Amino acid sequence: MLRYSAKQLLNMALTLFAVSFLVFALNELSPGDVARKILGPYASESQVDHLTVQMGLDRPAIVRYFEYMGKALTGDFGDSIVFRMPVADLMFDRLGNTLLLAAISFAVIVPLSVVLGVLAGMRERGWFDRTISVFSSMCASIPEFAMGVFLLGIFVVWLGWLPGTSPLRSDSGWAIWMQFVLPVLVVTFYDAGYLIAMVRSSMVEVMRQPYIRTALLKGMSFNRVVSRHALRNALITPFTVILLQLNYLVSGLVVVETLFAYPGFGRMMLEAALAKDIAVIEAGTLIAVSVTMLTQLFGDLGYMALDPRIRV
Amino acid sequence: MTEKLHPIIEKAGREFADGKLERREFLRLAVLLGVAAPAAYSMVGLAAPALAQGAPKKGGIVRIGMRVQDISSPHTYSWIESANSARQVLDYLTVTGIDNVTRPSLVEKWEASPDLKTWTLHLRKDVTWRKGRKFTADDAVWNLKRVLDDKTGSSVVGLLKGFILTEYDGGEKDAKGAPRKSVKLWDANAIQKVDDFTIKLNGNSANLSIPESLFHYPLLICSPEDGGKFGVGSDGTGAFELVEHEIGKRSVFAATKKAYWGGGPYIDRYEIIDLGDDAAAQVSALASKQVDMIYQGAISTLPTVEKLPHVQVNSVATGYTAVARTHPIKPFDDKRVRQALRYATDNDAVLKGALRGLGKPGEHHHVAPVHPEYADIGYLKQDIAKAKALLAEAGYPNGIDVTIDARPQPDWELLAVQIMVEQWKEAGIRCKINVMPSAQYWANWTKVPFGFTTWAHRPLGTMILGLAYRTGAAWNEANWSNAEFDKLLTEAEGYLDVEKRRAVMAKLERIMLDDGPAVVPVWRAVFNYSDKKIKGYKIHPSIYIDAKDMWIDA
Repeated sequence: MLRYSAKQLLNMALTLFAVSFLVFALNELSPGDVARKILGPYASESQVDHLTVQMGLDRPAIVRYFEYMGKALTGDFGDSIVFRMPVADLMFDRLGNTLLLAAISFAVIVPLSVVLGVLAGMRERGWFDRTISVFSSMCASIPEFAMGVFLLGIFVVWLGWLPGTSPLRSDSGWAIWMQFVLPVLVVTFYDAGYLIAMVRSSMVEVMRQPYIRTALLKGMSFNRVVSRHALRNALITPFTVILLQLNYLVSGLVVVETLFAYPGFGRMMLEAALAKDIAVIEAGTLIAVSVTMLTQLFGDLGYMALDPRIRV
Repeated sequence: MTEKLHPIIEKAGREFADGKLERREFLRLAVLLGVAAPAAYSMVGLAAPALAQGAPKKGGIVRIGMRVQDISSPHTYSWIESANSARQVLDYLTVTGIDNVTRPSLVEKWEASPDLKTWTLHLRKDVTWRKGRKFTADDAVWNLKRVLDDKTGSSVVGLLKGFILTEYDGGEKDAKGAPRKSVKLWDANAIQKVDDFTIKLNGNSANLSIPESLFHYPLLICSPEDGGKFGVGSDGTGAFELVEHEIGKRSVFAATKKAYWGGGPYIDRYEIIDLGDDAAAQVSALASKQVDMIYQGAISTLPTVEKLPHVQVNSVATGYTAVARTHPIKPFDDKRVRQALRYATDNDAVLKGALRGLGKPGEHHHVAPVHPEYADIGYLKQDIAKAKALLAEAGYPNGIDVTIDARPQPDWELLAVQIMVEQWKEAGIRCKINVMPSAQYWANWTKVPFGFTTWAHRPLGTMILGLAYRTGAAWNEANWSNAEFDKLLTEAEGYLDVEKRRAVMAKLERIMLDDGPAVVPVWRAVFNYSDKKIKGYKIHPSIYIDAKDMWIDA
């Protein structure tokens, strides 16, 4: 297992290296001149030339790439062009905010989906199953922005119970925890809808297995069959899916963050990408890729714990 | 009035008495030529408009939802939002109010020579920088010279080029390596310090709108000690100090401890909260009282905001618009194709569909009925047959395929583009829409071959034409050049007599319709939202926002 982990980590380092190069190349190929973007459309050409030389952008892309990587390896990720601050500070701040939102959402989504999914799946086509299925497919099919606007209309404009944006500042007239309610709710509805369906179908499949019928026929109580024999097996497939949600929760919250003006990682990446802010794009992509690969590694390790037959 | 009036005012006064000159235009003229605003108002028998709504109360915070941008270089600002940040700390030499009348600011009084070539600016003597130094003519001269320096890259150059600058070959090259004409002051003595509190602008040609041009939004008066840079702690003569600025998040301004020379401020703090480009987030923040104002309203949010009991909608008719403009490259290098584009557009339908009728239909020449020298040369009606014929004449009997770049915010712009594209289809102009986010659009707005660009309101028709269509102007986004247009425009800028200016303007408007690069579909009313507790605020046609006048009625 140690060997496997080490091998995966080495794999990850290589992937990150490749991704960093790809991102750099793509950014280089996309149209628009960085110095011109910094100075704005009205600056004189001589200013643009001056800044281009000053920033070293007149040198070959490959030289700049290795220089960037050299610095990045020592922990210096450069400065953001859009936000005019060190990328490390910016990332720390924005990623922290997103991780907080992700953690709270995750803590709500996982228990909720597992409980509802299992309850629905253990009695296939029962009234509870039908209700939950309709509910979950409805949630999963409403896009985040539509769900967000819908909830905003009810809780902010109509009832006035909750704050409409989440700047995460206590001086905006609302307690910070209240600023989390709507974003978490939107993410939960959207994401749990999908997860519940996953858990349910996995549960349904397990409940159809001959060994479950055997257990029931030999007189074991239904509850005992579910908790002892079905649950663990039913959770293996959803486990991967649950871990994959971490990717979504870290780098896929762009819509929710924009809608609620939440100072997070997704919104930052969007603005950086629009402005060709390479230092931010590189660092952000590497973080997103790391999260994906680490969750895969944990997923593999988790499998072993859930299913002793799996060896890596 | 004991002081001698400018000869033109005497003449204009007679015209006004004879009923040849409109009251508003006389008022504007008198003020531009150095009559103080209250006196000018009384000359035409009007009471000066008062902002006062009861006695202002001290204290409180106003938070506005607006983009928080990089504001480090005031003289090269290209966004009203940036100027709306820095103007709390820095002052302008003059201020054009919501009534289109220009009033003194750091310049206390001005005089124009009879030929309108020489302008004498008298500075206030009681202004000090926050850090203690006295504000003098040296500060003003330094700023004026800096914005007019080619190397600074300020848009003020386009505005004052005809008046005080001259072109020369300085060996400059543009991005493609082609030679580029540089500009410099036409005379070493063009900006002249007379004494510590007096400046003379010695122009090369007549220009009536100097006081208004001094209020062009990048012309903020910075302390020379800051070297043209601006940020937290920067010195200023204004009512506030910038104490916190985080791009993309928020900006905080604190009232200065010393009394402000211009009266106010009443509130203790003014905060700008960045809510992103999303209109829904802006309304949500307003609804839950996380902000007290929104910089600019959107058509899509208007119905919701009208239902919020604590919010009022502020609106004003303007020369605000967005234009679909072309670069002189195929197929738009042929003026008949550009004409066809105009004939294919139904402006009434655009106004109704994109702006819910809030505004007026445009006339394709970028001079609005609110401009004093606007000449009514008739409304160009949609004529599909004519558009088709023009395209065929230009060698495109089967129509053309083009792509227009537009941005999604504000929402009415994209709607207008979609409506126009449908209309153009009928005439055989098959147009794809390429939507790019605002930030990306503004990084490329002068470079895209065919784009839909917002243009802010300007008090004069000549100002907008000078900024956007004069050959070589920094904001001539269409790369359009018409020698006769340039000549007539400089001529129009020199006429004080509005009728004379109108006569030239009619010619300019016709050139725009015949040869011009743009489709100008609408004139919109601008609007924004503010909490009813905010007093002392009225929306400016350019949405300039001064926090020093605001107070809170709790």
